[in-house]
Amino acid sequence: MNEHDHHHHEVDPKTAEVRTEALEDLLVEKGLIDRARVDALIERFEHDLGPMVGARLVAKSWLEPQFRDSLLKNADRVLEEENIKGAEIEHVEVKANEPGIHNVVVCTLCSCYPWALLGLPPSWYKSPEYRSRVVREPRKVLQEMGLSLDADTEIRVWDSSSETRFLVLPERPPGTEELGLEELAQLVTRDSMIGVAKVKAL
Amino acid sequence: MSTNSRVHDIGGTQGWGEVPYDSNEPVFHNDWERRVFGLMFQVLPHTAKRPGEFRHALERLAPEDYFCPDGYYGRWRAAIEVLLDEYGHVDKVELDDLLGVQPGTSPGHRVAKIAEIPSENLPPDRLTRKPEHRTVRRELEESSRFQVGDRVVAMGNSGMGHTRLPEYVRRIPGTVVKIHPAEVLPDSTAHNLGERPQHVLCVAYHAKDLWGEAAEENVVINVDLYESYLEMETEPS
Repeated sequence: MNEHDHHHHEVDPKTAEVRTEALEDLLVEKGLIDRARVDALIERFEHDLGPMVGARLVAKSWLEPQFRDSLLKNADRVLEEENIKGAEIEHVEVKANEPGIHNVVVCTLCSCYPWALLGLPPSWYKSPEYRSRVVREPRKVLQEMGLSLDADTEIRVWDSSSETRFLVLPERPPGTEELGLEELAQLVTRDSMIGVAKVKAL
Repeated sequence: MSTNSRVHDIGGTQGWGEVPYDSNEPVFHNDWERRVFGLMFQVLPHTAKRPGEFRHALERLAPEDYFCPDGYYGRWRAAIEVLLDEYGHVDKVELDDLLGVQPGTSPGHRVAKIAEIPSENLPPDRLTRKPEHRTVRRELEESSRFQVGDRVVAMGNSGMGHTRLPEYVRRIPGTVVKIHPAEVLPDSTAHNLGERPQHVLCVAYHAKDLWGEAAEENVVINVDLYESYLEMETEPS
């Protein structure tokens, strides 16, 4: 397919920078945007949002079996009770990894992702390589990304094709029995909640 | 393998290399990415306001703009430029000039027009209670035509309009595993043809049904599909 040739050229940040600046200037001139509001929005998405929100849900699930059950059965209600709001979490489903079952999330049609739980998605999640391949050869893709799964572990891929957003509940690593909520949450990585990595004890 | 005619519909397509994985990636790589992200949220209220409309603007980009060297935020910037022209804020010819690029080279000159979708190809609209806040979710009185466990086949929108039916599951039998809350139908809203809300069903496909016997073992792919895409599987005669 000819589009494959188009996506790995080196970006010239200067050119992109100049063009974006020119676009921003003309938007200001036309009265379509307000620079201060753009700044505030960037600030909020870059610094106030992030995988810590999802990580706390995971850590709490490890500590409280009832919380885990509720999260798996009706994540929307739990998010409401925990007062977690924001973009791209209109309806959330949490999928638990367990021995013999591994979940991994993708959006093949664009790059849908639970922003308010994980922050903005990383580039690799938005890459055509991940979007095209993880539905066809997930075991191979995960292996390349550093996660080897047993052949008899069932892989469940979740393609985010509606407004439902998925979060993977990773398994609690051994050796963390003594840790509390905050310490456990520190261990939970973004990638483990997308399903391309396991959580490791420090 | 399926022939994916839509530039963005790449699930299962082959010939791609390794995932450019970096477990420690920053949210933005350059300041311009940060700016594009912020600009988009202020441009949308003046342009693509309806559910699916911004996505469809991205999908209508020419392949060289969709898979542009500037990556994901370069694609967003291209869609912003297209929408400014289409909504009459900045004509594409004027835009070339204001951006200081060669005349005739900004993405608006090669974007696909929004396809005409005959409304008879869409499911009928139905009235639902107006939600209290902005959301795509709707409460439907009727329950779904399908139940968990049903064997279904997705046919649906095969024209060039917006759809959330990935090509790789089209005509392949799968099993309904869950019914999600109902949503407005993006195939309709992106074209300004009304909400036509639908139940959303999570359908599970075995990898071997999608990709053939050479597929990986023990793999299930779950796809969320709007009810109007689906038909009950007919037994092979």
